[in-house]
Amino acid sequence: MDPATEYHQFQSRRRFFQGAGLKVGGIALAQLLGKENHAAAKPTPDGDIHPALPGLPHFAPKAKNLIYLHMNGAPAQQDLFDYKPQMEKFFDKELPDSVRNGQRITTMTSRQKRFPVAPSKFAFERCGKSGILMSELVPHMKGIADDITMIKSVHTEAINHDPACTFVMTGSEVPGKPSLGSWLSYGLGSESQNLPAFVVLTPTVKNPSQALFTRMWTSGFLPSKFDGVKLRSAGDPVLYVKNPPGVLPADRRVMLNALGKLNQKSFERFGDPETQTRIAQYEMAFRMQTSVPELTDLSKESKETLEMYGPNVEKPGSFAQSAILTRRLIERGVRVVQILHRGRDQHSNLPKDIKNQCLDVDQPTTALIKDLKQRGMLKDSLVIFGGEFGRTAYCQGKLTRENYGRDHHPRNFCMWMAGGGIRAGMTYGETDDFSYNVTADPVHLNELNATILHCMGIDNHRFSVPFQGLQQRLTGVENAYPVKRILA
Amino acid sequence: MYHSICFFRSRFIAHKCRLFFLLLITCSWSASSGETIRFNRDIRPILSENCFACHGQDTKKRKAKLRLDQREAAVAEHDGIRAIMPGNLEESEAWARIISEDRDEVMPPSDSHKKLSDKQKETLRKWILQGAEYEKHWSFISPVKPAVPQSGINPIDAFLQERLAAENLKPSRIAEPATLVRRIHLDLTGLPPSPKDVDAFLSDKSSKAVENLIAKLMKKPAYGEHMARYWLDLARYADTHGLHLDNERSMWPYRDWVVRAFNQNIKFDEFTRWQLAGDLLPKATMDQKIASGFNRCNVTTGEGGSINEEWIYRYAVERTSTVAEVWMGLTAGCAVCHDHKFDPISTKEYYSMYSFFHSAADPAMDGNKIDTPPVLRVPKEGALQLQAELDLKIARVDKLIVAAVEKIKYLDPAEIKPAPKPAIKETIWFEDGFPQGKIEATGPPLKLITKEEGPVFSGNLAIRRIANNATGQDVYSGGKFTVPKNGTFFAYCYLDPANPPEAVMVQFNVGGWNHRAVWGAHDKIGWGKVNTFERVVMGPIPEKGKWVRLEFAADKLGLKPGTTVTGYALTQFSGTMGWDHFGISSTTDPAKDPDYSWQAWKKQPETARHLELNPELQKRFKGKAPEKWTAQEESELQKYWLGQKYLGARKQLEPLKAEKAELVKKKAAIEKDTAITFIMADLPKARESFVMIRGEYNNPGEKVSRDVPGFLPALPPKPENRDYNRLDLANWLVDGRHPLTARVAVNRFWQQFFGTGLVKTSADFGTQGQLPSHPELLDWLATQFVEDGWDVQRLVKRILTSHAYRQVSKATPALLEKDPDNRLLARGPRHRLDAEVLRDQALSLGGLLVAKRGGRGVRPYQPPNIWEPVGFASSNTRNYKRGKGEDLYRRSIYTFLKRTAPPPFMATFDGPNREQSCSVRGRSNTPMQALQLMNDIQHVEAARNLAQRIIKEGGAKDEERICWAWRTTTSRHPEPAEIRIMLDLLTEHRQRFRDDLEASQKLISYGESVADKKIMPQELASWTLVANLLLNLDEVVNKN
Repeated sequence: MDPATEYHQFQSRRRFFQGAGLKVGGIALAQLLGKENHAAAKPTPDGDIHPALPGLPHFAPKAKNLIYLHMNGAPAQQDLFDYKPQMEKFFDKELPDSVRNGQRITTMTSRQKRFPVAPSKFAFERCGKSGILMSELVPHMKGIADDITMIKSVHTEAINHDPACTFVMTGSEVPGKPSLGSWLSYGLGSESQNLPAFVVLTPTVKNPSQALFTRMWTSGFLPSKFDGVKLRSAGDPVLYVKNPPGVLPADRRVMLNALGKLNQKSFERFGDPETQTRIAQYEMAFRMQTSVPELTDLSKESKETLEMYGPNVEKPGSFAQSAILTRRLIERGVRVVQILHRGRDQHSNLPKDIKNQCLDVDQPTTALIKDLKQRGMLKDSLVIFGGEFGRTAYCQGKLTRENYGRDHHPRNFCMWMAGGGIRAGMTYGETDDFSYNVTADPVHLNELNATILHCMGIDNHRFSVPFQGLQQRLTGVENAYPVKRILA
Repeated sequence: MYHSICFFRSRFIAHKCRLFFLLLITCSWSASSGETIRFNRDIRPILSENCFACHGQDTKKRKAKLRLDQREAAVAEHDGIRAIMPGNLEESEAWARIISEDRDEVMPPSDSHKKLSDKQKETLRKWILQGAEYEKHWSFISPVKPAVPQSGINPIDAFLQERLAAENLKPSRIAEPATLVRRIHLDLTGLPPSPKDVDAFLSDKSSKAVENLIAKLMKKPAYGEHMARYWLDLARYADTHGLHLDNERSMWPYRDWVVRAFNQNIKFDEFTRWQLAGDLLPKATMDQKIASGFNRCNVTTGEGGSINEEWIYRYAVERTSTVAEVWMGLTAGCAVCHDHKFDPISTKEYYSMYSFFHSAADPAMDGNKIDTPPVLRVPKEGALQLQAELDLKIARVDKLIVAAVEKIKYLDPAEIKPAPKPAIKETIWFEDGFPQGKIEATGPPLKLITKEEGPVFSGNLAIRRIANNATGQDVYSGGKFTVPKNGTFFAYCYLDPANPPEAVMVQFNVGGWNHRAVWGAHDKIGWGKVNTFERVVMGPIPEKGKWVRLEFAADKLGLKPGTTVTGYALTQFSGTMGWDHFGISSTTDPAKDPDYSWQAWKKQPETARHLELNPELQKRFKGKAPEKWTAQEESELQKYWLGQKYLGARKQLEPLKAEKAELVKKKAAIEKDTAITFIMADLPKARESFVMIRGEYNNPGEKVSRDVPGFLPALPPKPENRDYNRLDLANWLVDGRHPLTARVAVNRFWQQFFGTGLVKTSADFGTQGQLPSHPELLDWLATQFVEDGWDVQRLVKRILTSHAYRQVSKATPALLEKDPDNRLLARGPRHRLDAEVLRDQALSLGGLLVAKRGGRGVRPYQPPNIWEPVGFASSNTRNYKRGKGEDLYRRSIYTFLKRTAPPPFMATFDGPNREQSCSVRGRSNTPMQALQLMNDIQHVEAARNLAQRIIKEGGAKDEERICWAWRTTTSRHPEPAEIRIMLDLLTEHRQRFRDDLEASQKLISYGESVADKKIMPQELASWTLVANLLLNLDEVVNKN
């Protein structure tokens, strides 16, 4: 194409984009918009691969990145963070009707003749200067008590895993909405030129009770380019990132050089801006072929750092390795990293099983916070830790002092947040003596999501996409406001 | 429950819709001074976006009791104020608010973050001045066929070109035939044309070349497969339940029916009726019932602990919302929780539609089963014929049996003098050892002794067991003995006089150890309830110091003739004893045996006789005593008895009976091998339906009855003898008067070929949706579609023969500026191919594609760890087990689709996960796609097979081969510059592989198909990377 024509094309498209919002994928737009509408993404000679939406962020963000540690299966809040000494007196006694108050329960326990209270067998202590309560199940985490805000009053709608998992990650019980990470990469893009904007890790667990769903990290009605990209522990670390057997990076370079030239001709032939985007995406793909192996190579990590994450850090697919990779991803400018760790649906044998889950995550999670902090990255990163709902005060199945099970409980559960924009060393919200009802400062998941968006510089009410006749928002139709008191 | 119900369905990106729409208005329809403002075109979008949320029809959200969506309300006087005073700005409070500078006064309110542009304000101003006339929303008014602006050309072009002329634009020229032939092939079959196909098209010089090609392609099975794909997105078809365990479900006969329906060009009205209500059609055919599975394609759960009412409710909501979107383009789901804010659907109207689906017969919990009822068994292709053939063969054998029976010269032993003697038959169960099976012992292991070692009753060995003040026994299991008629068990035992046991026992297993015969101190052993079959006390302890025959009738232990005994145990308490010669004897007296004597059979009580007759005879002879039989009846029954029961004829009849049994078995196997598919059915008694307040499943409000929304045409009068049903709903949708059905359908077909619908929001024709770019064209197409009898192929042909479709797709700078999204169609369509087409194209170009049609979903290549990291431990779709051979190379429509972890080749290229209906797929352009097309084993293997074809079919010289390969993949000849780039590339690859045989071999052995041994590995590897590039070319990845 001759330069004059190209310039003209450029100019006309530029005008269009300014008037009407995002037009084409990645690079073309970035080239067109340059710095004008970008606060978050900085243009490079290649242009931005993951540009932000014009006008975003709405205000200066406190956190640039999000790390979401999803404790799938519903961890028992009574055994971890919500200390209820009064339950002791009620051991094996009926949960008072005044507490349950006729609230619905699942059909797994609704036919139980009794609802005996099961006090936690685990010892609690006040930790750090803040005095946040934690149980012996998370000995390492006690060391970061002063870095987090513990929210004891989170609540949700669904009482079963599938809809609850879908809700916690997409703000809707019904499949089809974009996940939190997709919303963020759609809105804010990412600074990384060599890695995806949104990366997901699903560490392996011994007993994968409960399922995950790709809808927890995919883009729903947004384009699939905002899907979370899985960083995998088996097979290619990123799908198809490895060249076929016998093909070297140099071979790929040779092929891409020719492909670039031919596609440029295709652009001249059809004048389709998507072709230019495609050329750029092939280059990005090539860069990923180098950046992904570099990312997953831990050989340059110091011994101290590796030790901090615990003995499993070099085991592919472990939570510990996922945690250190999370730090490396954030370091490289990835906007959202999400780890989904399974195995907490403890309807029976809870004391034994929860211990195993805690062994997996306690030390690496703590290490991640400390590691981010020592590198000065915690102030820019927002970290969330929690599951899809809580568990019941009453026992499911047989109750002894040493062994018990707990059913699903959506009415209150604990999550903690740390890092950019969040106060450190605070406990927020209160529940009754049985951890069965919120008694002060409830936080609905929509409000939690509004808080997350707020920390990342987004006003959730102004962050919407029209779909199915509605301005769809991550935080639902009703207004949802950030939890102001936990903001730094 | 939250507002979550609003979100069943599609996957399309609309963030720029609204803005784009405004752009269109400003560049094309802007209300220049003097022009009449039209409510639907100019005003409604402004009000809908900015005002209706608070001043619309949702009574709960209404502010200041003001609604602006109805003229009467908007112009009505409230406390001396009118929101709108037609023709008078000063007296219009709304206008005052719009132009107010006071933050507390201005509308829309500042905290709504909505703001009117100056242009919008100007438009509103003019509208009020012109009288503030309202119109019903355009799509809710039935289309009237508009006059075609120009005759002699395809009406589509007439409408489009009229508009282009108004915009000072001209259509582009017709595309090169080579471009066109690929475009049409891909659009109608989802597969690229072969060079031969291209040649055939190029050589058809007639003016009807395109028509001929279309007609040819529509006859191909591939046409149905390709067209079905789009519908399956709408139908949310998949091979798993979708929630929680996400186990497999058998639904694929529905998928195959959709393919068939497009191949057979079933008219869209029938297509609709069958899917919404095929089960309710009179004398519903197999296909009609299969089609009704549309309503069963929704996701379901089997999650433990779920509350049934919640899921019954959710399924009905999902089905209602899906039908509303797919046939009416309505986002009805909003009305689940509250009156629709923008479209005139109240919750009551929503739940009245929901009531049509609320009585579905499927359970709340899918049971994680492959065949959650109601299901239909669908015979495989050819199965019915095979069964008919077997029926014939069975009939023939039956005849032979009859003939053989005729030949029997029967003498009733009861009538023979002197009567034949009863015969005794012994069957031995133990002699010298147990039969093959499992042997266990309580106490020391089994000990068999010889005569030298102690007492043996018969044969060479006997059991000896010593039990000291405890129970001892030898237990045998794993056998299969049948208890005969009049059976009597016998066993010989020897009690050591020096140390006799206190009790002895024989036990039998007939599925459980619940039959025991015991002698002596039975309480010592103690098992079973005494005086029941569990412990029958036979008598005192047998005499010691000698072999004693223990004997008892089988029926004394409740063991009926024919019972299968799988094991027995010989037990004692304390002492030392021997066991030997154990078995059962039976006595047959032919004169009294109903298996030998007809008279004896006749004499049996009716209940016994009755059981042995076939159903037809049972019916005829029920309650009829032998005295009342006619001679003919008696002879008929006797023949039946001779053929079926008489043991004396066993030898003659056995081979024939065996033959028949074999045939019956085959037939049963075919019956069992039928496919299962979910179908729709209603409960015998309809559920009562209620408005569910705020969309909460446990919060019923006002009761509702089946009906359709009031703003649409009414249903015909209700039949006297029944309620409205889904068939009434389906008929109402396709009666030709419905304002939405045809428009929504033709718009989607348009979108399929042009990439964007005439209404861009093809899933939303409501007030929040976009206006059509060409309203008259849409209405013309819709009305013509109905006039043509809803003929889909005719519609498709009309679109594909238009100039608009056939023109070149080059976007000039001027056109890009004026019409970046190509809504005006001054150029032809160009867009990236869909996920399935990309994979099928690669397989086809590699010569790997297997044409086999239909059947259970197959499992082609998939990287490890797609299913496993998400799958529930006990899910039957947790571990992906790759298929083999042709399963790897089937068309993508036949790939097994697991909803919670869809195949990456689909997901990466915007394929929906089918958790909900999808009206439009996105078309993203990502590095993940680049990685996949370059490195996925499927694409690399296809490239290597394409390379083999290039070498074998492409000619001898490199340049010839390059040209052949280029033409095969793009359908056109390469330009010299392109040839040069390709030749340089080939040279570089050759240099690389020349000295690296190992790498070459690695590359060409990637994939299950075997590389051609006749081609030098280095050469094949070089060409493989050349082919790999071709499959990644922008031009190949796109429809051009």
